[in-house]
Amino acid sequence: MRPHIADLMATLRSTPQSLLAFTPARWEATIHAARRANLLSRLAADLDDAGLLAQVPGAPRAHLDAALIVARAQREAVLREVALICAALAGVGIDVVLLKGAAYVLADLPVARGRVFSDVDILVPGETLAAVEAALMLHGWSTTHHDAYDQRYYRQWMHELPPLRHNVRSTVVDVHHAILPLTARVKPPSAKLLAAARPVEGDARVRVLCPVDMVLHSATHLFQNEELTQGLRDIADLDGLLRHFGPQAGFWDELPRRAAELGLARPLYYGLRFASRFMDTPVPADVLRVAASGRPPRLVRALMDVLYDRALRLDEEAAAGWLSPLARRMLYVRAHWLRMPPTLLARHLSVKAFRRQPDPA
Amino acid sequence: MSGHEQTRWRAIGGAKMAWREWDGEFVVFNPRTGSTHLLSEFAGEMLLGLLASDEGITAESLAARQADSSAGTDDSERSIAIASALAEFARLDLVETVTL
Amino acid sequence: MIVADLTAAALTRTLAGPGLRLRTGPVVTRIQSSLPTVARGIALHYAEHPTVDEDVFADFHVRVGTPRNVRRWLRPQAHFFFDGWSPFTPLPLAQGFPMLEWGLNWCVSAHCHQYLIIHAAVVERNGRALVLPAPPGSGKSTLCAGLVSRGWRLLSDELTLIDFEFGNVVPLPRPVSLKNASIDAICGFAPDAIVGPPVHDTVKGSVAHMKPPATSVRRASEPASPRWIVLPRFEKGVADRLAPLSKARAFMQLADHAFNYSMHGSRGFELLAQLVEACGCFELAYGDLDASVRLLNGLADDR
Repeated sequence: MRPHIADLMATLRSTPQSLLAFTPARWEATIHAARRANLLSRLAADLDDAGLLAQVPGAPRAHLDAALIVARAQREAVLREVALICAALAGVGIDVVLLKGAAYVLADLPVARGRVFSDVDILVPGETLAAVEAALMLHGWSTTHHDAYDQRYYRQWMHELPPLRHNVRSTVVDVHHAILPLTARVKPPSAKLLAAARPVEGDARVRVLCPVDMVLHSATHLFQNEELTQGLRDIADLDGLLRHFGPQAGFWDELPRRAAELGLARPLYYGLRFASRFMDTPVPADVLRVAASGRPPRLVRALMDVLYDRALRLDEEAAAGWLSPLARRMLYVRAHWLRMPPTLLARHLSVKAFRRQPDPA
Repeated sequence: MSGHEQTRWRAIGGAKMAWREWDGEFVVFNPRTGSTHLLSEFAGEMLLGLLASDEGITAESLAARQADSSAGTDDSERSIAIASALAEFARLDLVETVTL
Repeated sequence: MIVADLTAAALTRTLAGPGLRLRTGPVVTRIQSSLPTVARGIALHYAEHPTVDEDVFADFHVRVGTPRNVRRWLRPQAHFFFDGWSPFTPLPLAQGFPMLEWGLNWCVSAHCHQYLIIHAAVVERNGRALVLPAPPGSGKSTLCAGLVSRGWRLLSDELTLIDFEFGNVVPLPRPVSLKNASIDAICGFAPDAIVGPPVHDTVKGSVAHMKPPATSVRRASEPASPRWIVLPRFEKGVADRLAPLSKARAFMQLADHAFNYSMHGSRGFELLAQLVEACGCFELAYGDLDASVRLLNGLADDR
């Protein structure tokens, strides 16, 4: 039976030595599960940090080593991209605020270790959007999603420009002006996030969100993201952030307060609930209680739990219950629903379903 | 234009650059950009000169350094070659000017 | 135990059920498929290859077949599944075996970053390896098949694996892919070679595979030191000729042909430098298989 990767990581944290008793069959299941969840390099990094990598048998070890090589190469690529983005935006007169993976790397957070990246995400004030886009295009980035419908989808409705791809390097930068779409029911004010952003040590060019905002963004991203394939990876991110910032003075008091201020009480509730359930994240009981004020009505909550549970569990193609792909679909619809009012949603989904997909980024 | 002759150049992150030379041709790895380059003998010798000095080196000194290996070319040709190589190196993010 | 030890019925059952656990050099792949063309292709081309038990770690899980949902009734196509998801567009069922081969190449080139992986054929004689990097259309696979039919050991047809520790070539002996005119060329050049039935109308034209010699498969655990790098360029009617290539240029060509060179940063640079340092580097103008094979044999004999 395949282990649930989150169980695995929780086990790893509590008794890393237990991995040494794994049979080849267990290693096989573990490596494959970790790769499916996009957490192979994270597993490798955890083992490396615990000083256990050398004791993994050769055949599975090769995959862990390979994953670390990829992670290291990607980390260097992110550092290079950030430097080049800063150089491109030097004349625009804004602070470059990094989000998500790039932020974790620049801030040297433990959660960056072993992480894989796709794009660099930045947050800029809405009024500078045109200048930022122009500056990036001057330095070799071009817009993607050329279809007029998609362009409108991004610019009118979403919280980001269509992704910009660099002509030579093919790397992608996502420029956000808000952390949720313009059409969403909840509108956390970006100005507050930008005002609270802080510099990273040793690098004057970039800023990152303050700790509570970083956690709230991660929780929001997980549960309202249209693409749910990254679910487990995002929960692992959230878990990593909570474990790192938790011990900081005032963090647990500030978190629910800030969530209420930004209108993100519900995502916080889900984030804390699922992180503690899947990753055994230590969340103080009173914080969970306070966060529960953001919870939805009981029936909806129960249904959401079941849906997320099934979607997040790795379903192996052969063993899949019929429900899992369905569950993902329901969650996909829900994520869209939270972002776009229902009337717009129906139109968007039907158009998306029948148009030819553009080439993936 | 004045003071141009006094501009000093050096390799960026030279300590971490890796290079090899075979039969007068050079391959160079620049970890800053992740790029690998193939350089002619002339360009390669220039890069070695740029790598050798932390305080930077002027185009004039580079020319003098290579006077022997590029004997037969006149001074102005050599200066032009050096200037365009430096411009190309800068474009490739291999070198920077040293601000005093 | 090798694949040939299984009866056709047992092989079909294993592939359709728990999967065949096949060893190819350092890689163990669990292969599942219900397609008869795939079973036949494996029986023919992988007859000498070892199989392993379930208590041996399998690096990759692949399946070539129809999707396990309602879509399979709509249009019968072969899909390549890796760990349950499909990285490629589907193909006609008849192309199941070539699809498996391309998929197995992808598994290694996309994941085995513990090696430097070069898109090149590599063969061995007297303990020394000849690396033939080349883009499609260069004739490298035909040359590879030709050399292997004249006594060279097959290390790999597509993916040259270089280990970081010693700079050796690690064998990955698998069927040699042949396209279009090469199929007849090899059948003529090596009448005893075992070449499977051609599959037509693929994106690459007609495709067939040559079974690797049993000795190449049996010696899969013996690495070889690289000694020559030869870049072939096929041109019909050209006079076959080996010309020296500067090491620096050979280096750049290898970096261009490596799947994961940039991933390894300075380590990749150092390994390629070491490789180029140790090898005689050449370009080969190749017009006639027999003539070029002789030229390369001559290279090996000259030491």
